Amino acid sequence: MDADHAGHKLNCRQASRLLSLACERPLDESERQALRRHLDACLMCRNFESQLEFLRTAARRLADAP
Amino acid sequence: MSMTPVQDPRFAEIEEHRAYLVRYAIAQLRDEQLAEEAVQECLLAALEGIAGFRGQSALRTWLTSILRFKIADLQRRTIAERAREDVGEQAAANEDEDWIDQQFDETGHWRSPPQAWSNPEAALEQRRFWQVFEKCLGRLPAAAGRVFFKREVLGEDTGDICGAEGITAGNCWVMLHRSRIALRECLQVHWFGGGVADGR
Repeated sequence: MDADHAGHKLNCRQASRLLSLACERPLDESERQALRRHLDACLMCRNFESQLEFLRTAARRLADAP
Repeated sequence: MSMTPVQDPRFAEIEEHRAYLVRYAIAQLRDEQLAEEAVQECLLAALEGIAGFRGQSALRTWLTSILRFKIADLQRRTIAERAREDVGEQAAANEDEDWIDQQFDETGHWRSPPQAWSNPEAALEQRRFWQVFEKCLGRLPAAAGRVFFKREVLGEDTGDICGAEGITAGNCWVMLHRSRIALRECLQVHWFGGGVADGR
């Protein structure tokens, strides 16, 4: 369904996929550039990006909660 | 085997970790009933052995190490039954894919846009936050919840998780993506949305 993102503008659905994918593997150069262009213009996806980081921190902390 | 010593004061302390331990066991065993069984055996063993617990590690860490032995026992007994579940995993991944699509409108914009969370790190210090976090984890679909738990809580490698679950990397990743979006929304509503942090 997703168009190849190289050279295209991403929408939020595509950008969020890349943000989640980045938790699994390093993005390649074209993915990174497309994502960067989207994030520069999209506060919502920047919020999603920092929330993914927070989820990871919280989840790791859960394993050795006091 | 002794009866469950409910009157032991340490019982309440150990019991507080039950929800986490059940989730841990479900992630490994993929079966709620077996998971309950493993946790039950773990808690009994813990009560019998608590005198040997010196507290250098967190109680949760110690309990988890006991649980791992119980899980390994049960896995040896049930290994033949695992293959039959793999068909269901594909269906689960398809459903997750549909769910993700529904979180965006036809132009690919967020239907409930992520708002900024103020000082999220502070939440980690609050007991009530962890109850909300557990509750949000519990609302994930079974397969996605297991995959998320292994990936983000236990820090396992995605490839290992897919192998153990018998699913493709793509499906595994879809489940993780759904879990992240769903957890984000759940925390937004039940914690960061405002008005909840100090009350209840």
